[in-house]
Amino acid sequence: MRDFDLRAWFENLARLWRSSLQLRTVAITVLLSGVAVGIIGGYMSFSVGTNLFDLRRTQLEGTSANATLAGQRYFDQAAEQAGVDDLDATTSDALRAILSTTGTTQLALLRSPGQAGSPVPQDRAVGFNTRDLVSAEMRAAVQDSSEPRTHSQSVALPQEDGTVHPGVVVGSLLTIAGSDYELYLVYDIIDLQQALGFVQQTLVFGGLALVLLIAAVAFLVVRLIVGPVQVAAETSERLAAGQLEVRIPVRGDDVIATLARSFNGMAASLQNQITRLAALSQVQQRFVSDVSHELRTPLTTIRLAGDVLYDQRESFPPATARTAELLHTQVERFELLLADLLEMSRYDAGAVDMETEPTNLVRLVEDAVASVTTLAESKGSPLRVVAPGGYFEAEVDARRIRRILQNLLGNAIDHGEGKPIVVYVDSDQKGVAIAVRDYGVGMTPAAMDRVFDRFWRADPSRQRVTGGTGLGLAISLEDAALHGGWLEVWSSPGEGSCFRLTLPRVRGGVLTSSPVDLPPDDSIPLEVPHA
Amino acid sequence: MLSHSATLVRKLPPDPGDETRQLRGQVNARILVVDDDTALAEMIGIVLRTEGFEPFFCEDGLQAVEAFHSAKPDLVLLDLMLPGLDGIEVCSRIREESGVPIIMLTAKSDTSDVVKGLESGADDYVVKPFNPKELVARVRTRLRPTPQTSTGSLQVGDLTLDVAGHEVKRGEAKINLTPLEFELLLALALKPQQVFTREMLLEQVWGYHYKADTRLVNVHVQRLRAKVEEDPDNPKIVMTVRGVGYRAGSTT
Repeated sequence: MRDFDLRAWFENLARLWRSSLQLRTVAITVLLSGVAVGIIGGYMSFSVGTNLFDLRRTQLEGTSANATLAGQRYFDQAAEQAGVDDLDATTSDALRAILSTTGTTQLALLRSPGQAGSPVPQDRAVGFNTRDLVSAEMRAAVQDSSEPRTHSQSVALPQEDGTVHPGVVVGSLLTIAGSDYELYLVYDIIDLQQALGFVQQTLVFGGLALVLLIAAVAFLVVRLIVGPVQVAAETSERLAAGQLEVRIPVRGDDVIATLARSFNGMAASLQNQITRLAALSQVQQRFVSDVSHELRTPLTTIRLAGDVLYDQRESFPPATARTAELLHTQVERFELLLADLLEMSRYDAGAVDMETEPTNLVRLVEDAVASVTTLAESKGSPLRVVAPGGYFEAEVDARRIRRILQNLLGNAIDHGEGKPIVVYVDSDQKGVAIAVRDYGVGMTPAAMDRVFDRFWRADPSRQRVTGGTGLGLAISLEDAALHGGWLEVWSSPGEGSCFRLTLPRVRGGVLTSSPVDLPPDDSIPLEVPHA
Repeated sequence: MLSHSATLVRKLPPDPGDETRQLRGQVNARILVVDDDTALAEMIGIVLRTEGFEPFFCEDGLQAVEAFHSAKPDLVLLDLMLPGLDGIEVCSRIREESGVPIIMLTAKSDTSDVVKGLESGADDYVVKPFNPKELVARVRTRLRPTPQTSTGSLQVGDLTLDVAGHEVKRGEAKINLTPLEFELLLALALKPQQVFTREMLLEQVWGYHYKADTRLVNVHVQRLRAKVEEDPDNPKIVMTVRGVGYRAGSTT
């Protein structure tokens, strides 16, 4: 669980990294300037520390040298005046004097080993643990020095409270009553450490402030560049969404302004073009609508007149009666043709809209089949509906789907040669499919390619029962496409044809496959009596 | 599919006992034809006269309302495209003062125009070109008498339907419904347990015995709801049964 959280967090970060130029630029700037400031700060801290230490050591060595000289003089004078007897007391006085001169609290007076004579005065040490602070190497170095000079070494000074202070031990040689003694003065330089700490702290804060400042500057600069780019991106999105009047504000004369100007130029020409096309489309739609009205009104009058005559044809002489009949049927045909033409031109003008509602397609298919049963029976074609189940409602425009079905069924009856016609309905997660299968004449591949063309007829000599206009399948194809669906054909000469309509279950759905095979597998569900 | 209610479905020929009403309702019924195409208007007149109706004519949208006042028609045939005043506008003006059945004559079967016409109050529509039988059948359906029921009054939700008096009341307040809206509500109220598909309602209320435009039902249910529901967005009288159709709200 924790792993998952972490991974999600990383993914979020990665996405943000990819998507935000601003973040990327600022992060890289901060990183690089941070490294630079770190190096400079480190060097400065080191150099300041070293210099401070060297300075202090030199100073301490000087102090120690003076103290040593003063001590030596003290001993020399004491030796002249008091002799050797009171040497212990003299040593104490001398050491006290040295301590007061140097200001330290720790010192050690050690007799160099390997000397003859009485070991007076004895080794002395003042302060906490002072003897241990003097290393053997240090003693060797001090013992080896021939002339009176000081040696120093850095040491850690353990304190009584357990902490450790940095310190310096300065060693020098003394001659007391003819014997070599080593004087070690221990200085606590915690104040130096504190000063250095303060400097380092200041450096760190300064460095951080600098990096933040650089980050802020980078952010501002990137904004300055990215801002206009973002505006351009947003503007083009709005343009794409149809707000054709949006433009980028042009400021100044720089490269950004040039970008804005050329973008605006592009938008303007796009707007012109689209407005022009929209106007054209509107003219077309108005024309369709006008033609519709203008043609239909006189046609209605003709229709009414023809029907009135047709109803009275029995009282007419035979030739006039037949004329009335012809008038009646041809007006009907003309009407169908006009209706299909208008529907087609509505599609061409893009002036169609869908009225979808949840529809039970099985019910719709059954209704459509019921409405053509009489016609099918007159041609000798039994009609069957195969609906294996598992179908729910689909969001479709029932009127258009009904029209497609009537078309497909009409065609199947026309070309079915009196053989059975089977309608398959099935559905899956995403789509519903209706397949109309006939076992009639079928089509050649060349005919299949043209079957959806306007006014194309499979066989001009074939007698048509359903009185199609030649636009049926073309309109059906448009109806299917309007739903985001497919209308496909399979056919084989002598074996019949199958038209399959596949529709997405919900409006706007995308189809990837059809629940019904093309042609459907007809070996299992029912016995097809091949006549 | 449809359970035919003897009391609801109009019988042809009509019951002998109902003859006087039938005569008043259909024969010699006055029909106002509003159409700017004189040839078509005249032809419609011929067809109507043959069927025993008495047609009146008006060619201009602006004069349509006036003609409506003077002719006092039992039904209006209204062309949607009119000079002067738009057919839809004429329709809503007539609707403002009368519930007289209006059938639109439309040259467009486009959704928007048909729906606009129905929303402005038309009861039904006929798409040009139509044939005489279709027209006469539409006219007759709208002129037929309200189906008689054995019950004098019905209860739907908090509404009371006085069937004989053609009245709907909420408490004491009378709600004005057009004859079609009343018939729609009555059809639902008579069988409160039944869910009506749009097709069933089309058959019972509009007299379509074949597949017709279910938008007729949708639009008129909306109009009805606007009048009878206290909150049309949350209907209590005419309930939607999703994917199937409508039913009457339960009696409270």
